[in-house]
Amino acid sequence: MLNFLGKRAVASGISLVGLILLVFFLSRLTGDPTGLYLPLDASEESRNQFRAIHGLDKPLFVQFLNYMGDLIRLDFGESIRRSEPAIDVVLRGFAWTLQLALITMSLVVVLAITLGSLAAYHVGGVFDRIATFFSLVGASAPDFWVAIVAIVVFSVTLGWVPTSGTGTVWHWILPISVLFIRPFGLILQIVRGSMINALGSAYVKTARAKGIKNRPIIFVHALRNALLPVITVIGDQAAALLNGAVVVETIFGFPGVGKLMIDSILQRDFTVVLAAIMVTAMAIFLMNILIDILYSILDPRIRY
Amino acid sequence: MAHIDQVSPTQPELPDAPNPIAQTLRMLWNDKFAFVSTVFLLLVVFCAVFGPLLFEDIATKQNLRGRNAPPFDFEKHWLFWLGGDALGRPLLARIIVAAQNTIFVAAGAVFFSLVIGTSLGLLAGYTTHNISQVIMRLADIIMSFPSLLLAVIVLFMLESSVFNLVIVLAITRIPIYLRTARAETLEVRERMFVQAARVMGASTRRIIFRHILPVVFPTLITIATLDFAFVMLAESSLSFLGIGIQPPEITWGLMVSQGRPYLTTAWWLSFWPGLAIILTTLSLNLLSHWMRTALDPAQRWRLENVGKKNG
Amino acid sequence: MNRKTPLVAMSLLASTLAFGAHAQSNSVTVVLSEELEIVEPCSATKSNVGRVLFQNISETVTEMDPTTGLQPRLAESWEDVGNGTWRFKLREGVTFSDGSAMDAEDVAHSLVRMKSEAIACEIGAKFFGGIEITSNIVDAHTIDVTANPAQPILPMLMSTVTVTPSTTPLDKFVDHPIGTGPYTFDEYARGQHIKLSANPSYWGDQPTVQSATYVFRADSAVRAAMVAAGEADIAPNIALQDARDPAMDFSYPNSETVFLRLEHAYAPLDDRRVREALNLAVDREAFVGTILANGTLLATGITPPSTIGYDHDLKPYAYDPERAKALLAEAKADGVPVDTEITLIGRINNFANVLETMEALHAMYQDVGFNMKLEMVEVAEWLERYAKPFPADRGPEIIEAQHDNANGDPVFSMYFKYHSEGQQSGLTDPKVDALIAEATAATGEARAAKWSELFGYIHEEVIADVMLFHMVGFSRVNDRLDFAPTIRTNSELQLSQIEFK
Repeated sequence: MLNFLGKRAVASGISLVGLILLVFFLSRLTGDPTGLYLPLDASEESRNQFRAIHGLDKPLFVQFLNYMGDLIRLDFGESIRRSEPAIDVVLRGFAWTLQLALITMSLVVVLAITLGSLAAYHVGGVFDRIATFFSLVGASAPDFWVAIVAIVVFSVTLGWVPTSGTGTVWHWILPISVLFIRPFGLILQIVRGSMINALGSAYVKTARAKGIKNRPIIFVHALRNALLPVITVIGDQAAALLNGAVVVETIFGFPGVGKLMIDSILQRDFTVVLAAIMVTAMAIFLMNILIDILYSILDPRIRY
Repeated sequence: MAHIDQVSPTQPELPDAPNPIAQTLRMLWNDKFAFVSTVFLLLVVFCAVFGPLLFEDIATKQNLRGRNAPPFDFEKHWLFWLGGDALGRPLLARIIVAAQNTIFVAAGAVFFSLVIGTSLGLLAGYTTHNISQVIMRLADIIMSFPSLLLAVIVLFMLESSVFNLVIVLAITRIPIYLRTARAETLEVRERMFVQAARVMGASTRRIIFRHILPVVFPTLITIATLDFAFVMLAESSLSFLGIGIQPPEITWGLMVSQGRPYLTTAWWLSFWPGLAIILTTLSLNLLSHWMRTALDPAQRWRLENVGKKNG
Repeated sequence: MNRKTPLVAMSLLASTLAFGAHAQSNSVTVVLSEELEIVEPCSATKSNVGRVLFQNISETVTEMDPTTGLQPRLAESWEDVGNGTWRFKLREGVTFSDGSAMDAEDVAHSLVRMKSEAIACEIGAKFFGGIEITSNIVDAHTIDVTANPAQPILPMLMSTVTVTPSTTPLDKFVDHPIGTGPYTFDEYARGQHIKLSANPSYWGDQPTVQSATYVFRADSAVRAAMVAAGEADIAPNIALQDARDPAMDFSYPNSETVFLRLEHAYAPLDDRRVREALNLAVDREAFVGTILANGTLLATGITPPSTIGYDHDLKPYAYDPERAKALLAEAKADGVPVDTEITLIGRINNFANVLETMEALHAMYQDVGFNMKLEMVEVAEWLERYAKPFPADRGPEIIEAQHDNANGDPVFSMYFKYHSEGQQSGLTDPKVDALIAEATAATGEARAAKWSELFGYIHEEVIADVMLFHMVGFSRVNDRLDFAPTIRTNSELQLSQIEFK
């Protein structure tokens, strides 16, 4: 196990360096931030001075080496946009994103697996049809559309919850609900499909042939095998949430890391983009390791 | 729940072997949801192929003074029955014309990510440790690169054309197929029949394509059909952020996003294209459910003997 | 998660109480469209910064009032002492919120600071670009300010100068602004809110509004919903389609002018007939009351009609597609390459409905036979094309832009947009340069006359660009407030002017 974790840590480190390289050069190719930060009427001299202060006047390769040098000393650089350390800006946003992702994913996992298995147990039945219909509609409805309609209905008309922002527990209800819909629909469908396979597979039939009439046992047995692909999709969706929910954050004024990343690239605030990607990437790598451990727990035949 | 216990259905007697197409059509007809879905999808494909030829001009003809015309005004030309958009253009005509770009982007992105992702995933799951490691690190990198951010960066550098959008969206969706294919391969390769094939000297390629792929494929197809919605919505989110497809090109996603400011005043602007996205996804999924059942020998009886179906 | 349960339950209980009760009666919540990146007084003329800081935290030397003209603020009086020098008598007994007294040294420091190359303040670059400013402290409350070249409107320029304590660093932006204004800057929780409260030691009358919270929501529909739901009191800027409630929604001319800048250096846009055709091809009337608000004015000049020297006799180009086609045909017959593809560039999210506006313009130009391509670009790319140095080999381009001038004088607009050395000017016309120089040096009637001549020359003779609209903005205001937006609401929001009903 320790060996496995060590190997994965090294592998994640390699991926991280690859990611930094990719993001660093890709983002710099999008253009020079100078014009965005100086007044429209600023002189060429002050433009050059701005570039010199932020190290943008040096060749790209030198900029990269400087950045990596600072990074080794855990210096993520300064945000041009906010004149404070980039990592502070990012961690503040990521704390919100992490909470939002954890709560949403927990709800999604519990409900999608339960309802998806039930739907699979009785393929073509009324419950299956209803669950399939609603999960698919949910998974394919545009989130900004759902978000604004929810605000108009639940906040303005009914006055049940606040429109947006943060502050109280009530403020979390709409963003979580809107974020919940898509991964829920998607995972429910995967669970359903996978369970149909598992319930029809040889070992379940064998179990039945052996005379195990107890439905819960069959159910749990099938579920255990059906979960492998499900966990992959859960991982994919959780990664998407950890990377920030741009649309939901934008509409609800939720200070997460997703909108921060998009705003930062629009504003060419490269240090923040890089720091944000590193933080979310590390979270995602960690999650991937957990997923691989889960695989081997669910199916002992899988070894690493 | 009687049929759960009815473990192996006896093959129905075949009086005279029907031709396979008629057989398939009858099975399709027997599942009404799948049948309606198929008809709808054929309609969408028709619109995608011929829509721009037929309605391009009407769909771009502006009438500022007749903007946001409400739907269900049956006195008007039938193309206005779903209402007009913010520039007075008929929504129905625009939805029909937009089908082409929408389907092209969605199908293109899903197809490329499915093919590339699955191939890499099978490879990673079945071949040597080193290759597997390289592939998985690649997947890690893509997966931890936020898809919208990647799209924004790439579309800043390239022009935001339909083709570039397909590339961007395909890249961002590769990891899901890759990881799924690999995970399933890891499990399937340990199964008895694969082990048996290996012992009997089957080549790696043969094992992957003849033994593993057929088992892995249904899950991948389920993901792919769901991804259709995902890609259409991702494209819409890009439009929401102001990037993505640019007018005068249109897609359903762009239409939904352009209608967003009018959600509370003229709901129809974003509702109809949104409905088109939902219906297309729904149809694809119902059809894929049907296909899974029809292709699975153990499940097929459900479609053949409708009379006995008591669920 | 389990250990958190009591915590969640507790905060749930607490928040039940909090969500029910609205903010106290003498505080207001303002919902802005974008978060403030900086809270720096020397950039308070940026509209997002200004709405929080301008005259609330940081006061200016003089103050521009849209109805009564130039008024005293931190200066009580001023006089021209000749040679480009003005003497300002400062108000006595004014203190900063950190307790220090405000005197001439602080004003002198603020003037140096706004021109500091190390921080590039918006005010210094936008209003004092190309002007050298020196000051001489006469006594603690008297200061001489000299502009080179001489500026007859220097007192008006001083209405943009925010005064900060002389201890404010010259080389970096502040994150906790200190000013002399009626409010103090209490808290900035990034991503969430900014809080101000009344300054107990303010030199003027105590304002009615005792505290204010600013929150940020990017979506106009959400901002409008927040005021409707009673969660916010003022949404200074909402979209036309969200302003549907006459009881809450106010429209006001927001001092923004939308126009298309034409690239004179490239054929076919170097031909005057082609530029005239571009003006004639646009059905400006069709936009008003449809994509753009009722009350939007058709523009003939780059500044709002209330600016001095605005030529009210100029007529907007009437919609005449036939004449536009004829002009194009004529130009073509003379060998002008009118079929060259022209790029029409719009800026994403520049104003509400910008995309619809650009799509409509594009269609109108195609209708009269222009070979045109529409390109919507985000701000960074737009800036690269809009401001000098222009990209090489750019080809014929038409760039949509929105210009804001609420100061009553067109000097900055004219210099930057039309002077051959202006940062965003595509023109090199000696007559324009000369007129700008003459008008800048003139005062009173003569100044107005010179500006009028320039407006006319640009619009009728050169046909420099396609002037489109003087825009209208919308604010939603909770009906418990007694507050009406003005032309200044685009760039400032003086809390002290708000009363309760």
